[in-house]
Amino acid sequence: MASMIGMRVKRKEDPKLITGNGNFTDDIKLPGMLYAAFLRSTHAHARIKRIDVSQAVELPGVVAVYTGEDLTGKIKSVPTSWYVPGCNLKAKDRSPLAVDKVLYVGEGVAMVVAEDRYTAYDALNAIEVEYEELKAVTGQEAALKDGAPLVHEDVKNNLAFLWKAGDVPDEAFTNAEVVVRERYYEQRVVPNPMETRAAVAQYNSGSGDMTVWCTSQNPHIHRMVYAEVLGIPESKLRIIAPDVGGGFGAKIGVYADEAVVAYAARHLKRPVKWMEDRKEHFMATNHARDEVIEVELAGKRDGTMTALRVRNTANMGAYLSTMGAGVPTICFGLMVTGAYAIPQAAVEVYGVYTNTTPTDAYRGAGKPESAYQIERAVDAFAREIGMDPVEIRRKNFVPKEKFPYDTAMAVTYDSGDYMLTLDKALEIADYEELRREQEALRKQGRYLGIGLSTYVELCGLGPSKVAGAIGLQFGQWENATVRVHPSGKVTVLTGASPHGQGEDTTFAQVVADKFGVPLEDIEVLHGDTQMIPMGWGTYGSRTTPVGGAAVAIAAERVTEKAKKIAAHELEVSTEDLEFSDGIFQVKGVPGHQRTFQEIARSANMAWNLPEGMEPALEAQSFFDPSNFVYPFGAHICVVEVDSNTGQIELKRYIAVDDVGRVINPMIAEGQVHGGLAQGIGQALWEGAVYEENGQLISGTFMDYTMPKADFFPVLETAFTETPSPVNPLGAKGVGETGATASPPAVVNAVLDALRPFGITHLDMPLTPEKVWRAMQKGRKEA
Amino acid sequence: MKIEYEYTFDMPREVVWNVIQDEDALRASLPGCKAFEHGEDDVYHAEMGVSIGPVKGIFTGKVQQINQEEPTYYRLLVRGKGKPGEIDAVADMKLNQAEQGTKLICSADVQVTGVLASVGQRIMNGAAKVVLGQFFKAMDKEMKQRQTQC
Repeated sequence: MASMIGMRVKRKEDPKLITGNGNFTDDIKLPGMLYAAFLRSTHAHARIKRIDVSQAVELPGVVAVYTGEDLTGKIKSVPTSWYVPGCNLKAKDRSPLAVDKVLYVGEGVAMVVAEDRYTAYDALNAIEVEYEELKAVTGQEAALKDGAPLVHEDVKNNLAFLWKAGDVPDEAFTNAEVVVRERYYEQRVVPNPMETRAAVAQYNSGSGDMTVWCTSQNPHIHRMVYAEVLGIPESKLRIIAPDVGGGFGAKIGVYADEAVVAYAARHLKRPVKWMEDRKEHFMATNHARDEVIEVELAGKRDGTMTALRVRNTANMGAYLSTMGAGVPTICFGLMVTGAYAIPQAAVEVYGVYTNTTPTDAYRGAGKPESAYQIERAVDAFAREIGMDPVEIRRKNFVPKEKFPYDTAMAVTYDSGDYMLTLDKALEIADYEELRREQEALRKQGRYLGIGLSTYVELCGLGPSKVAGAIGLQFGQWENATVRVHPSGKVTVLTGASPHGQGEDTTFAQVVADKFGVPLEDIEVLHGDTQMIPMGWGTYGSRTTPVGGAAVAIAAERVTEKAKKIAAHELEVSTEDLEFSDGIFQVKGVPGHQRTFQEIARSANMAWNLPEGMEPALEAQSFFDPSNFVYPFGAHICVVEVDSNTGQIELKRYIAVDDVGRVINPMIAEGQVHGGLAQGIGQALWEGAVYEENGQLISGTFMDYTMPKADFFPVLETAFTETPSPVNPLGAKGVGETGATASPPAVVNAVLDALRPFGITHLDMPLTPEKVWRAMQKGRKEA
Repeated sequence: MKIEYEYTFDMPREVVWNVIQDEDALRASLPGCKAFEHGEDDVYHAEMGVSIGPVKGIFTGKVQQINQEEPTYYRLLVRGKGKPGEIDAVADMKLNQAEQGTKLICSADVQVTGVLASVGQRIMNGAAKVVLGQFFKAMDKEMKQRQTQC
């Protein structure tokens, strides 16, 4: 049998999903179940003078109405989980429902529980809230100014934290031959997974057991935090993430809503379901990005980059969400030098409270923002000195012989060959020919643009001791159990919690490869805290490099034990056995063999095991990697801008990624496609907008453009494989590459197209109106 | 949000002024008007059913006319509250003499909250114009009826 690693196997999880047989949280129906709905603040900043629920309570079918005051002392506030050290962090816990004040549009004010969902929503309309409006502040730079409205009265200038890393003397800039200074606004986006958030809670008043089904990327984290919030020991709190319809970071977060639903189930002794609607999702589920990034890049006329200084003013929203503070600091700050050997770098991050929905991790979490600033600044530098964007990258890449490479930001890139991906991308694109075509088209008044992005990102979170050192209140190892049943069929339990990334298949491939058993014989289970010993979930492209590594190690342990049993039965030493295609074979003696399935039966029956060996065939691994992994790649975007309308046509998109060893190229391509859709979506279409009173005016799909399949050309993807040394699979993580690499590739391409108009900067999203206006201005100035 | 609207009445300015200030005419012409009662001074209490795309609901609120400069100008203050959110509008109404009669220019600054803001903003401008169009057409009809009665 050929190796299963690298096989284009179709996803095991897809048939049920595409035939409508998935089991999502909203599919769960329990006898006697009630339905919850939240009344959410319509004001961005207001004092709650009075809440009158009397009419709501009297509606037939309404079982209970809870306000913030009703819950005070009953359940605790929800804390952030990332206390970034050394930055004077002023964290504010979120009360389950607002008490006294509301701090953003969408904050929970009351929850109705009713016999059916219609009644619950009708009852929301019957609740009267009297607000005393306060002045709101939505922009992070405005919020930092003296005299700005204070989101939290005791947080001066709304400064939640000020994080600094690295030190570059001023002379590095004052004495430099070239300095480019740029300012980018990384706009706010709304994650919008296909499935919004949902929860079903069931309390057993006899045993005191609480089960919560919810849309979680990391059920054990939800269990750990909700145990504290609800006052239920982890041993009696079971969190189940059934099928989850995408998360992209928004379902890492530990929100108050699910805890209030669980409280109601306990209080009313009946199961309660809540399903977030889309309008609600737009304002009640974490947003992302929203950072003002100022970059100073110094270097020489020959193209050598010598120093980098970055300031990020990040909009954290009204509270620090679960991973909130870590995103613009650790995830963004440590990656600012990108793929380049820039010897000196420094970062300052201002985390700012505003009257907006909290921001948190979203596909890439900090790394797309970091890649964006360095990839655009490198282009600006090249433009300044008249160098081709390809050449400047080649000149400054960390060379492949320097790995593992310690960057100026004190992280160690595990492995890399940046020239390899760039060369491959240039070859696929036929870069020289594209440049000629661009030249020819310009003469006809057509504007072709070619944009590059040669990114590197930090993935595979990560070593637990590093997590501790950077204030993350989680471990970052992963757990796997590989259980072989008497028949030889295999159950794999993983503490990662995939929800669309395809690990039901790729983990099965890893195990099938080890055992030589058919893929169908392997079942991968996840997402249930009662079934899985412990784990830290799926985010940060950690599932395969950390969770998959744990599976590989556990499978290897099973193989070793099976081999001992086979040797015992065949009366040879283990060295005399070879194991391939599921058969333990005595070397050189045909016919003297045992199948994997026979050994599975022997191990489980335990009628004849080696002296002192315990029965059964099962192994566990708790794998904690020694480092993060650093995937990298080169993306090339080709656009044509219509000079009459500003419309951007995506002509080609080439993504060459190196994510270490690829287990399933088809799934890896799918991950790249999804990441590109979201990254290009940010570059061209998406954007969450608040008006000055703090009303979210892009709160529907009418006003917020979600990319659709027909927005894209055929995406040209390819991989190179530079294995990571930090895990036994050599894998690096692929889920976030597209989202990280593509925004600068697209914007660089558009700016390249607009060069004849003298346009050197545009902020995302590059809407036709914005592009058209810039061209008009360019024409006037010319 | 700014809303601009113009409507030309085929009537002399004085007639337009009188009808547009008339309680009964207003009650009859306001689209979806369920109640319109004179309160203290120049304040009216109004109840209006609004349906803007997906935003449906009944708004109750106060309407007040101030700074009247008969027959050329007045300012309209509207504060309304309904399940879809709150409306706070200040509208300047100018009555200019035109060739064929009177051109009424309405320029309003409208602030909204709730679903009205998150769902309605983009369509509201268009919808507001539809509502205003209905209102002025109804007013026009009212004026013509009154004239024939005279």
